[in-house]
Amino acid sequence: MKSNDIPKLSRRSFLKTSAGVLAASGLAWPGKVRAGEIGRLATLIDLSLCDGCIDRDVPACVSACKTINRDTIPSVADPIPLPWPRKTVEDWSRKREVSDRLTPYNYLYVHRAEVEQDGEPKTLFVPRRCMHCDNPACATICPFSANHKHENGAVVIDQELCFGGAKCKSVCPWEIPQRQSGVGIYLHVLPDFMGNGVMYKCDLCNDRLGQGKQPACIDACPKKAMLIGPRQEIVALAEERARQMNGHIYGKDENGGTSTLYVSPVSFEAINKTMKREPGRPDMKPGVERQMAATDAVGKAVLAAPALGIAAGVAGAFKWLADRKSSLTEGGKKDE
Amino acid sequence: MSEKILREKGRVVRHSVVELTEHWAIALSGLALVLSGMFEMPMANRYYISSVPGLAWSADYMASLKVHYVASIVFVAAALFHAVYHGLRGDRGMIPRRGDIRTSIEVVKSFFGKGKEPPFHKYLPEQRLAYVGMVVIIAMLIVSGLVKTWKNIYAPDMSYAVVLWATWVHNIGFVFFILAFFAHMAAIVLKPNRPMLRGILTGAVSLDYAEHRHPLWIAEIEGASAARVKPPAIPAEESAGPEDPPVPAEAVAETPADALSADGETAAPEAGAVSDQKG
Repeated sequence: MKSNDIPKLSRRSFLKTSAGVLAASGLAWPGKVRAGEIGRLATLIDLSLCDGCIDRDVPACVSACKTINRDTIPSVADPIPLPWPRKTVEDWSRKREVSDRLTPYNYLYVHRAEVEQDGEPKTLFVPRRCMHCDNPACATICPFSANHKHENGAVVIDQELCFGGAKCKSVCPWEIPQRQSGVGIYLHVLPDFMGNGVMYKCDLCNDRLGQGKQPACIDACPKKAMLIGPRQEIVALAEERARQMNGHIYGKDENGGTSTLYVSPVSFEAINKTMKREPGRPDMKPGVERQMAATDAVGKAVLAAPALGIAAGVAGAFKWLADRKSSLTEGGKKDE
Repeated sequence: MSEKILREKGRVVRHSVVELTEHWAIALSGLALVLSGMFEMPMANRYYISSVPGLAWSADYMASLKVHYVASIVFVAAALFHAVYHGLRGDRGMIPRRGDIRTSIEVVKSFFGKGKEPPFHKYLPEQRLAYVGMVVIIAMLIVSGLVKTWKNIYAPDMSYAVVLWATWVHNIGFVFFILAFFAHMAAIVLKPNRPMLRGILTGAVSLDYAEHRHPLWIAEIEGASAARVKPPAIPAEESAGPEDPPVPAEAVAETPADALSADGETAAPEAGAVSDQKG
């Protein structure tokens, strides 16, 4: 199998415990099967395996991501139009090499977490990128639908449609999307008054998934700490690994569930304590709630509103008909 | 039929409580939708709107989405009620008639002192045309809005093509709705139309105004009243055709009540424009 094809997902340790399940579920993918034919995908990041590529200047996953997205952002307008009235410009075009935080030119970075496990100091490396949530507010309430959750699970921003208003960043619990000003459709509309660039983030290498390949970061990981596969199987694998290492899972329930499951031998409360939330560096607070869940009940009432209106209309019209009939009957009696 | 002439009070009842409720439910929820819809775009913070005391919520997308949803419940239910209720009753007063475009142009010209406006039924011809425009815009907004709501709750990964269609139909409908709103306000600012403002606020307009500007409507009401008192002496005739020239107000005013059909439709003058919105 070529290295850039979707590999057999199963790993030796997992096969030992669940070979039967795997065989039955067809988890081992043929290399050329396309993601779209498989359905919803998910990824697994095993922190017990990631060593942060400490022997390299830049972790292999980060490097592969940067390489594959080298030409994603078109040339930036010079000068970048100054938005009015709030003059916020975000320009990373001269800092493309930054790899220790999220930027429009860097969709993945590795956080180093100094923690304790069983009283012993331990270093964990946590790759951070978009979680590709199951019901992502960043996509569902984008005013131009420039951001969309695809059937394969990837949440993808279409840079041809994005105005760079950063709404997606505001509603993301991890503030993942990053803005590059001076690019995008807004330059052709009202650059001074509307829009401010394009938002960028990991798209799970959606184009590569469509070609039957796996995301570049997963392909590049020398430790095979990252995996991708059908969602149900990835969830089963994450649970199995967590059970084996007496560890923890992050991403299964956070923000209403995501397509990225972290497995760690150390609790995410402890890992989160090593993270200082700042621009481009999300924290990892366990149990993050999905903000939009608070609007779901009212939204369901909206969906019921047509039935309500129709029922009231029918009732009103029949009452009118009954009143009219009764009025005509009374009139007829009087005439007699 | 709620339309009636109150001669002792010098007023004519133009809209029923149901119609007033429909209008204001759609109008007020529509304005709330416009406002909250604008706040669904990243503008409140950029334009310091959220810094205005009392408007801090405008930069909170979840808060504005909630307001948008609540207003949608009223808007959608009222619009569907309107369609079903008046559809079942057979109300056709706001449905455009042949010749409305030509007559509307004449009416607009008369606003600028060119020519005299013809006598009207309950609604002006441009009101009937505007009604259809508003129906199309509201239908666009409701259908696309329901698709977007379904997506938000149940199907974030629905077909991207459907999502894009719904989004752009909603956004374009939003722009049209605002334009239609301003046109609506501009129409009521025009001096000849101002007396109608009282109608949509209280349900009644002055009899003097109605007799001078809506003589065909007054004749219809009087005809309906007469028909309730006694059967029509002359059976309703076939419509004379929508292309017929408008009947002068004086002539209509002289139309005998018994020359009207039993259901209040005018028998002779300006046919095709007979049945009006009841209630």
